[in-house]
Amino acid sequence: MSRTLLYVTSMTLFLSLFSGALVTAAELPNVKLFTTGGTIQSKGAHRQKLMEYSDGRVSPEELLSDLPELNAIAKISYIEESNIGSGSMSTKILLKLAKDINEWLAKPEAAGAVVTHGTGTLEETAYFLNLTIKSNKPVVVVGAMRPYTAVSRDGPFNLLNAVRVAASSDARGFGVMIMLNDEINAARDTTKGNTYRVDTFVARDMGPLGYADADRIVFYRKPIYRHTLKSEFDVSKLTDLPRVDVTYGYQESDGTAINAFVAAGAKGMVLTDNNEEAIKQGQKKGVVFVKSDRKGSGRVVESEKQAGMGIVTSDNLNPHKARILLRLALTKTTDPKEIQRIFNEY
Amino acid sequence: MNNFLTLFFTRCSRWCGAATLVIGGSCVSFLSVAQEIPIYAPPPAIPAAEVKLPTIVLMSMGGTIASRGDTRLNVNNYGGKDYPRVNPEDWIKDLPDLKSIANVIIEDQRAPQDRVASETFEDFARVAKRLNELAKDDKVAGIVVTHGTNTMAETAFYMNLTVSTKKPIVFVGSQRPWTALSGDGPRNLYDAIRVAASKDAWNKGVLHCMNQVINTARDVSKTSAYRLDTFEGVDVGALGYADPDQVKFYREPLRRHTAKSEFAGTDFQTLPKVEVAYAYRDAPAYIIDAMVANGVKGIVIDGTGAGSLTTGQTEAIKRAQEKGVIVVATARTHGGRVQDTPRRREAKVVPGDNLMPEKARILLQLALTKTSDMKEVARIFNEY
Repeated sequence: MSRTLLYVTSMTLFLSLFSGALVTAAELPNVKLFTTGGTIQSKGAHRQKLMEYSDGRVSPEELLSDLPELNAIAKISYIEESNIGSGSMSTKILLKLAKDINEWLAKPEAAGAVVTHGTGTLEETAYFLNLTIKSNKPVVVVGAMRPYTAVSRDGPFNLLNAVRVAASSDARGFGVMIMLNDEINAARDTTKGNTYRVDTFVARDMGPLGYADADRIVFYRKPIYRHTLKSEFDVSKLTDLPRVDVTYGYQESDGTAINAFVAAGAKGMVLTDNNEEAIKQGQKKGVVFVKSDRKGSGRVVESEKQAGMGIVTSDNLNPHKARILLRLALTKTTDPKEIQRIFNEY
Repeated sequence: MNNFLTLFFTRCSRWCGAATLVIGGSCVSFLSVAQEIPIYAPPPAIPAAEVKLPTIVLMSMGGTIASRGDTRLNVNNYGGKDYPRVNPEDWIKDLPDLKSIANVIIEDQRAPQDRVASETFEDFARVAKRLNELAKDDKVAGIVVTHGTNTMAETAFYMNLTVSTKKPIVFVGSQRPWTALSGDGPRNLYDAIRVAASKDAWNKGVLHCMNQVINTARDVSKTSAYRLDTFEGVDVGALGYADPDQVKFYREPLRRHTAKSEFAGTDFQTLPKVEVAYAYRDAPAYIIDAMVANGVKGIVIDGTGAGSLTTGQTEAIKRAQEKGVIVVATARTHGGRVQDTPRRREAKVVPGDNLMPEKARILLQLALTKTSDMKEVARIFNEY
């Protein structure tokens, strides 16, 4: 008896919510989903499989039909950009993604955009978009640590929260955001900090901008560096970006990697080591060098010595984000002083 | 030989500090230590005539940074009535480097050393009034306030809500006394003055700077009893850093503060009584009943999880509410928000957002000077 009653009550609730959504559908904000793949769109052989899940991909249609609750938050449309793991993300896909999002957000009816992405390089794509999207409307990059097929999967709630933020007019002007684990993080400052935990994304130096809590979306901080609308980078006419590589510094690391990347045609290099001879040889060939750091927290401070050697310092950008900024900077200039200005401002 | 003697005297007087007599080449003092600041290579002073330095008021409210110990290894049993305090002018004398970054004007706002109660509301009222005055003074570019670290986040938050200014007000302290080996005080003081002198520090509310990290008064909290990196911006991190090359900001806070606070500029002489009740398994009702019997106007419950109470506490809260007491819930997790839920509304409990209970207490005290309407109090907790 009580079970039936519970069923009836919950159905009534659901129906009233759903019909409420139908009634107001015309006024709901328009959010477009740009799917690229990743764990959030991956299937495993069984529901306890949290690694090596490559037993099928989840289409955008399946992703959306799994979450009818989204229809009460926004009018959702989608574009499938790719359905790949984040390790396969390419410059070609990135450039098309930026163009498609820009095209969407330029429409007056567009409220915001959500991008699904594998978590491995999610922060790189998010930072790239932070520098190339020409809109103050919310762009939220979302992923999952557990596949679509897993028990206690985090993907659906992350996606729900991402759409909530993208649909919110309060979320404008924060630049591109990353949404996992209820946390609204800034694309620039956030990195994947753990291989498997669901709270993997951390802005080590700065902390999150706010939270997508169950009662409301709340913001506490606004980034003050340049991004999106205030960014000087325009990729609308580009078909490729300059090659930039990263070298890792460790005891006795020598110039082998630098020399090899220069020989392979790198136009810029992000270093966490310091091999002066290899740098000088590279600079003779026009390669721009940016000094980052492998600690993952804290700024590489500007110093007269580095500036004297024509080496740019990366502020607190981690090496792979410094690479993204250097690629874009090299579309504008090869002058280390001008590139240092860019690293100080973005 | 002569040079050696000079060096010896210089070091000796450095080590022995203000309360020292140098007689016949030996230190005679009932205190044998002072801040050990390396004398080898002080940074070059910028001639004041050539550069117009910003005027920064360095206000002492005391604290570990203004305390002495009997040996330089004393980092946990210093200060108090046994040892003379470090006067503001001693900081300037020990740290002449400050003269190269600002025109520093010292001001002593310490409570009397022999006062029985070490922290009273009188300090809040006096200092808030003075900060409001200094904020209006066009000659003053910024203000640094030293404070003991235990309750400095509370004082900073009170000033964040009651001082009407866009200028930087930077709270600073130290974890080790001024006399300690590897004392953090001198660098913290130097950095706080750099932050207060920074144009980028304007419009960000009352700030806190220790361990080179710039935090907001609202979010900063002491998280470790003794470590130098004790202060953290709970949930939302720092605004920026006082790095060796520059003071750099990455964030601006969005909650209302200082010039935009509805409490700013008012000279509060007293505040309504608000106490904090802590929740734990079997936490009794009688403590809350006692608060009501003692005339509280508000109670902050630092609840388990996201602000929950024991059954006994819940009953006592109902009794309190019947007498008009306004109740705010914070989470003893000290991270994460207490959310606005239907059950909490029904229980007439105002969500304390992600404030620490001691800060929710201050905000509730100020809110109760304006209203006793629960919805209005809830608005205030959403906005500040």
